[in-house]
Amino acid sequence: MDPTTAKLTLIAPEMVLCFGAVVVAVLGLTRNASLRRSVPMVAALFLAVSVAACMWSYSTPAAESSGLLLPYLGSFAKPLIACVAILLVMLGGTSVDRRLEAAFESGRVPFEAVRVLRGEFHAFLLLSVAGTMLIASATDLIWLFLALELSSLPSYVMVAVGRHARKAQEAGVKYFFLGAMSSAIFLYGFALLYGATGSLQCTEIAHTLATQAATNGVSTLAIIGAVLAVLGISFKLAAVPMHFYAPDVYEGASGPVTAFLGFMPKAAGILALITVLSLLGWSGHAAVLHGQEVELQGLPAPIAAMLWMMSVLTMTLGNIGALLQRNIKRMLGYSSIAHSGYLMMGLLAGPGAGLNAVLFYLVGYGVMNTVVLAVLCSLERNGEEVETLEDIAGLRNRHPMLAWMLAIAAGSLIGLPPMIGFFGKIYLFTAVLEQGQTALVIIAAVNSAVSVFYYLQLVILPMLAHSNPRSETVTALQSPWPKLAAVIGGVCILGLAVFAQPILEAASGAFGVATVSAAAADEPTAQTTDGMKTVLLDR
Amino acid sequence: MLSFSLLALADDHAATAASLAIPAAIDAPDLRWAGLIIGLPALSALLCLLCGALKLRSKLPALITIIALLGSFVLTCMLFSQVGEGTPRVVGLFEWMSFSWGTGDRFQSFAAPFALYIDALTLFWMLFVTGLGSLIAIYASEYMESDVGKGYTRFFGGVSIFLAAMATLVMASNLVVLYLGWEGVGLASYLLIGYYYAKPSAVAAAKKAFIMNRIGDLGLALGIGLIWVNYDTVDYATLFRVLEAGPLATQGDWMPSAIPFLLMLGAFGKSAQLPLFTWLPDAMEGPTPVSALIHAATMVTAGVYLIARTYPLFELHPDALATVAWVGGLTAFVAATIGMAQYDMKRVWAYSTISQLGYMFLGLGVGSTFGAGYHVFTHAFFKALLFLTAGAVMHGFAGQIDIRKLSGLRRVPGFKLVSWLALLGCLWLSALPFSAAFFSKDTILTTALGSERSDFQFLGWLGLFTAFLTAYYTFRVWFRAFAGPVQFEAGDDHHDDDHAHDSHATASHAHAKSEFHPHGPRLGIRIPLIVIALGVVAAGWPGYDALFFHGENWVQSMMMHSSAMQGAGEVHGREIFGLSAHRMTSIVGTSACLLGIAIAYWTHLRDRSAADRARAALRGFFLTRWIPATLENRWYVDEIYHALFRLPLWVASHILHFFDKTFVDGFLVDGTGRVPVAVARLFQPLYNGVLQGYAATMAGGFVLIAGWVFWIWLRGNG
Repeated sequence: MDPTTAKLTLIAPEMVLCFGAVVVAVLGLTRNASLRRSVPMVAALFLAVSVAACMWSYSTPAAESSGLLLPYLGSFAKPLIACVAILLVMLGGTSVDRRLEAAFESGRVPFEAVRVLRGEFHAFLLLSVAGTMLIASATDLIWLFLALELSSLPSYVMVAVGRHARKAQEAGVKYFFLGAMSSAIFLYGFALLYGATGSLQCTEIAHTLATQAATNGVSTLAIIGAVLAVLGISFKLAAVPMHFYAPDVYEGASGPVTAFLGFMPKAAGILALITVLSLLGWSGHAAVLHGQEVELQGLPAPIAAMLWMMSVLTMTLGNIGALLQRNIKRMLGYSSIAHSGYLMMGLLAGPGAGLNAVLFYLVGYGVMNTVVLAVLCSLERNGEEVETLEDIAGLRNRHPMLAWMLAIAAGSLIGLPPMIGFFGKIYLFTAVLEQGQTALVIIAAVNSAVSVFYYLQLVILPMLAHSNPRSETVTALQSPWPKLAAVIGGVCILGLAVFAQPILEAASGAFGVATVSAAAADEPTAQTTDGMKTVLLDR
Repeated sequence: MLSFSLLALADDHAATAASLAIPAAIDAPDLRWAGLIIGLPALSALLCLLCGALKLRSKLPALITIIALLGSFVLTCMLFSQVGEGTPRVVGLFEWMSFSWGTGDRFQSFAAPFALYIDALTLFWMLFVTGLGSLIAIYASEYMESDVGKGYTRFFGGVSIFLAAMATLVMASNLVVLYLGWEGVGLASYLLIGYYYAKPSAVAAAKKAFIMNRIGDLGLALGIGLIWVNYDTVDYATLFRVLEAGPLATQGDWMPSAIPFLLMLGAFGKSAQLPLFTWLPDAMEGPTPVSALIHAATMVTAGVYLIARTYPLFELHPDALATVAWVGGLTAFVAATIGMAQYDMKRVWAYSTISQLGYMFLGLGVGSTFGAGYHVFTHAFFKALLFLTAGAVMHGFAGQIDIRKLSGLRRVPGFKLVSWLALLGCLWLSALPFSAAFFSKDTILTTALGSERSDFQFLGWLGLFTAFLTAYYTFRVWFRAFAGPVQFEAGDDHHDDDHAHDSHATASHAHAKSEFHPHGPRLGIRIPLIVIALGVVAAGWPGYDALFFHGENWVQSMMMHSSAMQGAGEVHGREIFGLSAHRMTSIVGTSACLLGIAIAYWTHLRDRSAADRARAALRGFFLTRWIPATLENRWYVDEIYHALFRLPLWVASHILHFFDKTFVDGFLVDGTGRVPVAVARLFQPLYNGVLQGYAATMAGGFVLIAGWVFWIWLRGNG
């Protein structure tokens, strides 16, 4: 298969989503109310088709001949992203412009296509998902940059239009400006990497850097480029020091958008970081130089030190910040920062157990975060969102199912067995321990303990506390979809835990299969040409 | 006195017993159906659970339980007819515990299959356990009828669990399965004592029983552990082989010597012996059929069974059996003295149970497993009868059981049969000559008195004195409650539906409280009572058989063909005061019995104020003042335990609680918790919501991180 065909095959799911975005955007403008109502359904349908497309594209030999550094990364990440996106559409689809639609229906307001938001909201959602998926199949830095931007730009708009509140618009603007700043930083980093290696192709950059590492050490320019790239991309993860926006934006955005922000940019950031760091060569990778195999000594020391420090600061500041919050969405903003810290810890551990654990943790975190927000989105007070801790007190008495789901999700966020969060943490911590990073694991464990402090409020308040006058005015939404999303997510938290091992194996497929194919592709030429094998050495 | 010829016969057996070894067990896979003896009650427990889940309100649970228990009894009889006194059989049912670890030289394995060991001792025990179990279940089907519904189901579920566990305990082929049954009966006992869980005293009694049993169980568990450590097996058959082959006591090695003492502790806990006996009187908080079945006839004899089953192990230390004898003898005496001063009929029978169990341990200790086993057998019947008659009284008089408030019951319509059967039980408990208990108690005391050891002789005399006390307190109850003028006060348990169908209580009694009509028992209670009474009489048969027809005493030959064979016969023909020990015991024992009854008649029937005057006289004289007080307060054992264990623990727990509250919770936990919050407040101003501020802070953070990287870089290169 020639590279162009292979690349086109690999981005079939993204093409489906882009097409879906157009369909949904047009559909949302129709005068027919029932057609407008079907928009979320159609969006979910396109997401489902894209999952199928993922399955198909990775069943062809396209990945091997696409010239990707990590050809099978997408085989695990893409369907996962699309599946979580379906949950996100379920929890948010009906609530985007609920009040406007109600006004149209009652005839108080004449229909105006310009004011309808549903179509564009879902179009942006699909585009952002497509951008996130594209990162997993980025073969060069330009692609990576464009994919990151495609993932980010729609989310800025989504924050702003998600609800009619000045807070949301303020959050959208903040998110946009700070996002633009971070884009500038990592684009500059990419430029320096190009300067250091003379290429934009991931495989070539990796090869050049491996050669440098094996001879005189990685050039200063490349290190500076990598530092800038990692710091810039860490904005997507809401990692220290690029995390300041997260609490404000999470609080300002509407519930469904918060859920979206909790997962999609984080997935994009993690995939982008994996791609960038694999350029530098993790330990365990081998480079082929002049026909000889040389084992790389791992990430350059400054980069490793930076990841270590960022990971520690991110999880600590995130958890500490969450302690004081009374607003659940703001608390989740901080909690999302903390979880980015755990994820970065896994990046430091590198391929093998570390990256597998990172991908597994990403699934788990996506589901847990979605469930908490799905529960919040299922509740309302006079059409307003419910977001403070007081509002969920005694929830069990009125909505036992939602209360249970909230408790399960919070328990999983703490990392209690037998829920998926527990297995995520176990895999992550053991992988990092295997790398000899004992101090890092101890810090992470202390952080987990601190996080119990605020997550437990999400268990105790709905399950054990008595209702207060404020929480008694909270009612459940008419629409069954957010509740269904909460229940499906809750079942996944418990159910995926049962299948933790298979999922972990699937995640390791994202790297393991790459090993075989890349090695096989390199084998005939290894004797004559230099090359970079993205290979896990046996350990 | 003819009785000594019975014991003379025993002497013949003693000679042969010494030369015999415990017969080797053979595998008998064809007897797998014997597993149903455990399986039926277990199934019945599950069905009761199902009934409970379906919220059934009928007598179905009773029916299920009765059928299951009768089934077990029939199967036990079939097993008896097949195995009898023959070679012990081992019936493997299924693999249960099996571990192995280590390799090569260090390879070790542990296996405790769920298998049955069926020999004469097993069958002997199972016969009365399942037989009495069935009868008492029938009795309870009427007794518990006011609770039909949730409570009824729970009760019969508990009884089924008990029978399944007891059968497991008795039929186990190894000590681990025995332990399973041991804990199972403890659980059932706990559940049934706490049956009236709304009553605080019942809950406290259930807890007390469970906790005291746990102390004993710890001993048993450690004992089993030591047996495994020393002999690499917990299997009876293998264990007996090992003990036979090797030297019984290894001098200087504490581990094997500790085994009998640990096992003994378990036995003392389960069988309510000193110092762990105080739970049994409190256990009377449970329904009366439970008291009869579990806390008189069967479960409490598990300790006797354990010692009889592991009898060869008790020769590992020379003082082990003597300890058993002393504990048994003293318990018999202490409990009898307490029994003299109680007014609650069930409590008197409870102390009498402890006392009689003491006799059994005395028997085991002085080397007469035959006497102990026979006493278990006779006691099971007459004590069940006594409890069930007490239950019938309670049932009829709305829970009244105080002998000061009941009198002349034998003249109350509907209670005639009950009164006469109670008299039968009382006579047997007092060991009237030629009653079953006379033979069994006699055997124990003769062995003790005939022993060469002077301390055993002392215990024999103490036992004879206790026999006098027993006769006294037994007839004190009967003369007070069943004889004399008709007079009674009803208890507090008024069942609304009881009087509607009450056809027995007819005439109004001048002495009775206003309109209360006691109602006599119906068939469900009467039939089991009569059958058990027949059993009480028939239990003497092995004795009569040996005495009059010079046949072989059945109980003795059962013991002879089991692991308890070492003690199945030995009686020494020492002379006391010119009489042989047998004759001596018979004469003194008979006199003690008659004297006790006579004093009871004098002070509790003829002149009821005599007892009070005697008490006042004792209290009046400063040297004897302590006697009534001590007895009425049960030797202050509960108070002593309270001072020795509960009080120090209470004080310690409060000190630790204070420490926990102030230091651990207050300082360590809350203090630690405050640190992150304080840090959080420190960083709070950074999140001020101003875009430019964020951009600046991000840039600052960016510079810091970049600086850090640069420093690492420099250090790496320099």
